[in-house]
Amino acid sequence: MAIKENKDKEKISTLLEDLTSLESYARDLFSFLPIPVCLVSPIGIILETNSAFEKIAGYKIEEIIGKPIEDIFIKKGSEELSKETLEKGFVKAKEFKIFTKEKKEIPVSVSSILRKSEEGEVIGYFIGFFDLSDIKKTEEELKDAQVALLNILEDTEEERKRAEEEKNKTLTIINNFTDGLLVFDKENKLSLINPQAEIFFDVRVKDIIGRSILELSTFPTIAQMATLVGQEIKEIFRKEIPVKESLILEVSTIPIMREEERLGTLIILHDVTREKLIERMKTEFVSLSAHQLRTPLSAIKWTLRMLLDGDLGKITKDQRDFLEKTYKSNERMIDLINDLLDVTRIEEGRYLYKPILTEFEPIVQFVINSYKDEIERKKIHFEFKKPEKKLPRVMIDVEKMRLAFQNLLDNAIRYTPSDGKVTVSLKYGKKEIELQVQDTGVGIPKDQQQRIFTKFFRGANAMRMETEGSGLGLFIAKNIIEAHGGKIWFESEERKGTIFHFTLPIKEEFAEFLKKL
Amino acid sequence: MNQELTKEVAQKLMEIKGEARGGTLKIDMEYILKEKGEEGLKKVEGELEKLGYPIKYKEINTLGYSPVGLRAISLLVIKKVFNFDNEKIKEIGLFGTKISLILKFFIKYVFSFQKVFFQESPKIWREHWTIGELVPVELNEEKKYAILRLKDFNLHPIYCRFLEGYLPGLFQLMVKIPQITCEETKCFFRGDEYHEYLIKWQ
Repeated sequence: MAIKENKDKEKISTLLEDLTSLESYARDLFSFLPIPVCLVSPIGIILETNSAFEKIAGYKIEEIIGKPIEDIFIKKGSEELSKETLEKGFVKAKEFKIFTKEKKEIPVSVSSILRKSEEGEVIGYFIGFFDLSDIKKTEEELKDAQVALLNILEDTEEERKRAEEEKNKTLTIINNFTDGLLVFDKENKLSLINPQAEIFFDVRVKDIIGRSILELSTFPTIAQMATLVGQEIKEIFRKEIPVKESLILEVSTIPIMREEERLGTLIILHDVTREKLIERMKTEFVSLSAHQLRTPLSAIKWTLRMLLDGDLGKITKDQRDFLEKTYKSNERMIDLINDLLDVTRIEEGRYLYKPILTEFEPIVQFVINSYKDEIERKKIHFEFKKPEKKLPRVMIDVEKMRLAFQNLLDNAIRYTPSDGKVTVSLKYGKKEIELQVQDTGVGIPKDQQQRIFTKFFRGANAMRMETEGSGLGLFIAKNIIEAHGGKIWFESEERKGTIFHFTLPIKEEFAEFLKKL
Repeated sequence: MNQELTKEVAQKLMEIKGEARGGTLKIDMEYILKEKGEEGLKKVEGELEKLGYPIKYKEINTLGYSPVGLRAISLLVIKKVFNFDNEKIKEIGLFGTKISLILKFFIKYVFSFQKVFFQESPKIWREHWTIGELVPVELNEEKKYAILRLKDFNLHPIYCRFLEGYLPGLFQLMVKIPQITCEETKCFFRGDEYHEYLIKWQ
């Protein structure tokens, strides 16, 4: 009996030990589990939970045990979870929201499993939670990013469409532009050519696109333009080039910039053939008319001369006065015709120069002498300032140079009132000689100074003062000076006077100029 | 029995026959750790040692057994060391139901409140104690009250207070009731034949 009792005690002791181990194991496992877990009674009372649940829900274990699960789930959620667990025996990874102690909602994935007694009676269920906050947050961020990305894509698409429309518009303009256009990229390779430029150069896009200026210069029609702009495509403004017999183009280059960066160069080709033709026809007409007029005017001149000289009999004083006036008018007409002929020759490139090596000062003196009477008549104080040392001889066309200086001096005397002053100065510079004609005349209005060297232009104040004058003198003078390699310019102030300067190169520069003639 | 806790009083308590699961003492340990920390626990253990019972709470086997007298001594020492009133002792009782593994391991919380009350209540007692008997007398769900009777268990009045906290906690695990009160209507130490508790809820 005692033995049996001892054995029973031993069994009980072993069972207790096993139970203790089991209890320790269950407790450790429950505490260790990083997943929040709850044990819930069949009627939905929380019987047990673990540290992970404490952490997620913010409740202490003793605060949550004994509470109904609807305290942590929304009512509908807890009912759904209980019902499904009790009916199916489990719930697998279903999304719910739980409330923390601070009533904050946390998205969770919930799994549950039913517990039954040995008799098969439901005695509760376990619930496991998986915190979806981070995943949801990431999902939200991804959604936001997706929305943002879609917005960006939409914007980009809109921008692309807009850019496409702009591009199409630009291309339409470029393709239908009456000027030829060539666009060169950063590396000076042709990236775009419009149909008009193709027509001008008689080339096809596919043959020339992507080529450099050097390569393009091998095309006969493009060669001249390539030479003009150079390999680096320098800046050019309205330079004319004959491309074919019946085609003259005006070439301009414009750099394409983005802020400080040069993205390429645009070459604009403007067809000036028609303008040139009209200009030539006009010049020819003027030339023809002038020639046709000069012969009868010469005949009139000599007839009047004969009458005035008494070769055709005596004339009365009144008759002489009339004839002299007629003779002067005829002379002015001849001068005008001569000026017009000079202009047409200049424009046609037929204004021939016959330079000789000669002294410049006598030419100046010769012209001054021819105006002595006029200077005296107008009571103008005249001064000729000669250089201190002797000027070197220069290669000039004497007749043309006289004409150039005469035009300047004539203007100075004509537009300087009586008692005014005209000073002619001749200077010797290092590389050039300079002639200066200074007057105290009416001056040139500021807003008209830019046009002073253009054909037929006369200042408004000059026209008021002197009705005669062709407006060709300064145009002719400028062409003569520049044809000699010189420069001409002026300073003027209305009602105070004007100073015209021109220079003529000497030594090597001049020698170079002569070679070109 | 309300006299000061002395060695003699403790000795008398230790002479009461019967045993209690270690888990009942673990309740005290967990509560002190929660409220007073390790230092508090050391103080309690020191006081017990002075009385001649040098126990280490952490070494107690939850499912093992210890003399019933020790259960009362533990509560009396805690009350003395921290100058706790009866409400605090009730709080320990309520706390006990939240952490008791025995209540989760061995009790079957089925759907029926009646079944849990009448079947599981005596079992709960038996799982903890080798003496005494918890008798479910009445459960009136309509009027929202229940009566439990504790027979043959005359440990110490401090345990009556403990049960006034423990029993409502137990009911919280059985039925969804937010407000529960418990009153000891009959007490052996007040001359009654047994202890009787009236549990009410709203």
